[in-house]
Amino acid sequence: MATAIEVQTAHGSGHGQADAHDHAEHPPTSTGLDHRKLLMWAFLASDCMFFGSLIATYMTYRGRSEELQMPPYPSEIFDIPYTSVSAFVLLMSSLTMVLALAAIQKGNVRGLRIWLTATALLGAVFVGGQFFEFTAFYHEGLSLQTNMFGASFYVLTGFHGAHVTIGIIWLLSLVFVSLRGGFAAKDSLTIEIAGLYWHFVDIVWIVIFTLVYLIPYEEVEGGEAVHEAGQMLSTIGGQFAAIGGLW
Amino acid sequence: MATIAYPSPHAQAQVVARPKPKTSGLWSWLTTVDHKRIGILYGASAFMFFLIAGLEALIIRSQLVRPENSLVGDQRYNELFTMHGTTMIFLAIMPLGSAFFNYIVPLQIGARDVAFPRLNAFSYWVFLAGGLILNASWIANAVPDQGWYGYAPLTSKIFSKGANVDYWALGLQVLGIASIAASLNFIVTIINMRAPGMTMMRVPIFTWATLIVSILIVMAFPAITIGLALLSFDRFTGTDFYVAFNVAADGQIISAAGGDPLLWQHLFWVFGHPEVYILILPAFGIVSEIIPVFSRKPLFGYAVMVYAIAAIAFLGFGVWVHHMFTTGLGPTPNAVFAGSTMLIAIPTGVKILNWTATMWGGSLRFTTPMLFAVGLVSQFTIGGLSGVMHAVVPVDTQHNDSYFVVAHFHYVLFGGSIFALFGGIYYWWPKFTGRMLDERLGKLHFWLQFIGFNMAFFPMHFLGLQGMPRRYSSYGAESGWWFWNVVATVGAFLIAAGILVFLMNAARSFKDGEKAPDNPWDAPTLEWAVPSPPPVYNFREVPLVTHRDPLWIEKYGAEGHHAEQEVDVTIAGKKIGEGEAPDEEPAEQATHRLEHSDEPNIHLPNPSYYPLLAAIGIFLAAMGLLVYNPAIAIGALELPAISVLGILVMVTGIYGWSLEPAS
Repeated sequence: MATAIEVQTAHGSGHGQADAHDHAEHPPTSTGLDHRKLLMWAFLASDCMFFGSLIATYMTYRGRSEELQMPPYPSEIFDIPYTSVSAFVLLMSSLTMVLALAAIQKGNVRGLRIWLTATALLGAVFVGGQFFEFTAFYHEGLSLQTNMFGASFYVLTGFHGAHVTIGIIWLLSLVFVSLRGGFAAKDSLTIEIAGLYWHFVDIVWIVIFTLVYLIPYEEVEGGEAVHEAGQMLSTIGGQFAAIGGLW
Repeated sequence: MATIAYPSPHAQAQVVARPKPKTSGLWSWLTTVDHKRIGILYGASAFMFFLIAGLEALIIRSQLVRPENSLVGDQRYNELFTMHGTTMIFLAIMPLGSAFFNYIVPLQIGARDVAFPRLNAFSYWVFLAGGLILNASWIANAVPDQGWYGYAPLTSKIFSKGANVDYWALGLQVLGIASIAASLNFIVTIINMRAPGMTMMRVPIFTWATLIVSILIVMAFPAITIGLALLSFDRFTGTDFYVAFNVAADGQIISAAGGDPLLWQHLFWVFGHPEVYILILPAFGIVSEIIPVFSRKPLFGYAVMVYAIAAIAFLGFGVWVHHMFTTGLGPTPNAVFAGSTMLIAIPTGVKILNWTATMWGGSLRFTTPMLFAVGLVSQFTIGGLSGVMHAVVPVDTQHNDSYFVVAHFHYVLFGGSIFALFGGIYYWWPKFTGRMLDERLGKLHFWLQFIGFNMAFFPMHFLGLQGMPRRYSSYGAESGWWFWNVVATVGAFLIAAGILVFLMNAARSFKDGEKAPDNPWDAPTLEWAVPSPPPVYNFREVPLVTHRDPLWIEKYGAEGHHAEQEVDVTIAGKKIGEGEAPDEEPAEQATHRLEHSDEPNIHLPNPSYYPLLAAIGIFLAAMGLLVYNPAIAIGALELPAISVLGILVMVTGIYGWSLEPAS
């Protein structure tokens, strides 16, 4: 009785035997997924936990400044139309990222450069918007040390802003490499992986924008217990989100 | 059907035009990307830290040998137990596990290296940087003194004015980077680089443990990273994440600050409890390799063992509040977490049962590795049982902060992890070094350590129940605790004698140990199919795996799977031919080929110094904050100059790394 043995190739059936030698650096993988892509997925699962912990911290201290009457409060200084526009800009950058990937998959290096640059620019508009937002809040009296809202807000959104900034540097580095003639259609995976990161950072902003800006804080009777439960729930929720992300 | 060496078009030996990199000298070690060398680096560094932390433990035990002793002062005592715990957990047990992951896992799955060899080198150098930062505190005389759990508000500027806590926080932060990078690498390696035919349910159990531990690290470390980052914000920028009250210099409360010290405990234990499994699961993996080999039977219930590891890891995320039963969260959380904690005893019990059932009816050989493995099974059971006791909230309230808890976690981490890690060292030593360790000295080491360990830690159960509190530098003569403390101290020195015997054994093995054959224990997994020590490319040809325990199937056959059986070999679903079992066993094949061919030109990744450069950058960035000097601060924000330099070095390293050819 013969047992079948499956020997998988590097990129599933997408690549024939003919170009196997061009891909000497990418030995076959057990799943057919590229190592770097799997690495990025695993990293994003981990990053969910980073954001999860920070969001849990923010939710724990939500309303604490109001209770202790330590202004400024979020309701006083948030400019939701302004932040909505910059959130929209960031979401649009996901579209240009998709277009960049589509371009290189067709071998269109020029299109790749245009859309990558556009994505980086939109990202820069978002980070610039965040910089002006932080400056405005600072002038309205909200610093990192003012109250729990200031501390947890700046650290959470600043951590996200740092992610976007790293993404911009990454995208511009890719543009630079493509100018030196480093890309062809077969390298589209490099762009796809940068795209995974970029889309993830966008999706996280949807969560942060909703939780931090859109859902207003209301004082509840027996607030202590609600906080404890919320803190525990958000930590557990963060874990499930992260585990879901990995599998 | 046995393992057959299948010449895949990709894995085939490739001719390389460039000269071979040098394989000796300091520079070759600094730039190495070979998983075996990195494993040795991890092992050697971790063992050094193990000795340092052991020395700290001996000083602690010497201080407690009689009432009102004054060998060390209160402050020094705080520093000693803090550094003992932190060093043992983060710089000894975890990296000793990493040493085995690095050396053994690629060999067990039939791979030539890990998925990202340079990332692997980076992980090691960052780990070393973290260890150096933590221990640099001894030189700066600002040794962490707040306990390994670093509870707020003790860590706040109000109560810890010096840089002690900062060394601890930044050291752990840097170690976290290393752990997460290494774990991402091993997740990809194990999922993606298994030899053809090695399905997930044919993966050796140690590799399974590595995979699950890596997932745990990747999921659990972010919580402590954020926790430590918030702590650093509190300490460096004056935020109040863990500060409930603003306090005046005379200790008077001025006003509410709004922070919550309990948040630290949540973030810490959401990491800290999975961390316990990060420390013990590699040990379980090692023991699951050793016991079948020396029982001459396949592991009992392989699949259940895999599910049990996964279940322990999953449940491990839902039990953290059992570290916080005395913080007053209320009956509902306490009851829920007591339940989940008891639940975790089930998969753990399954493992104990399966090891016992593996030994049942086997032809047992009590070699040194087997003694250490059985040591884990017995002692971990004791530690596990006292763990279940702690799950009962009223009992925990009594045990909390007493020596009973100290006894419990030493039975788990020393009686469990350290015993298994020594078992692993004895078991794989021939593969690492090509030489055998002396069995007589090995057994002497085991018995000294076994008796010493039980003398040192079993009496702590009694001491705890008599009310002796943890972390106190002395006790009064009237307490009645003297006798058992003397017994514990004698036990600690017996352990030290055991470790000295091990060092002697190792030195003798290096000097004139018996040469090790490829497979001295007649073990079933692939790492024993290659020469001892393995050549730099591991496998000349990537093996084809058709069964669990491939070398046993090869040698002894199995029911319905005769060694001469033919198999279909397919690529992407298409049959390309039939394979046949080779006549020689793989080990002989490898030797045969080595003797009858030129140095095989197998494509291997280039050495690289960029990972080291990036790690040096991270080291400088952290040290810059610790030795902050306003005289050399940069710009309006007064950024520490050394940190800025460090970040530049790190960025240079990362760019050099990204732009140099991958292999």
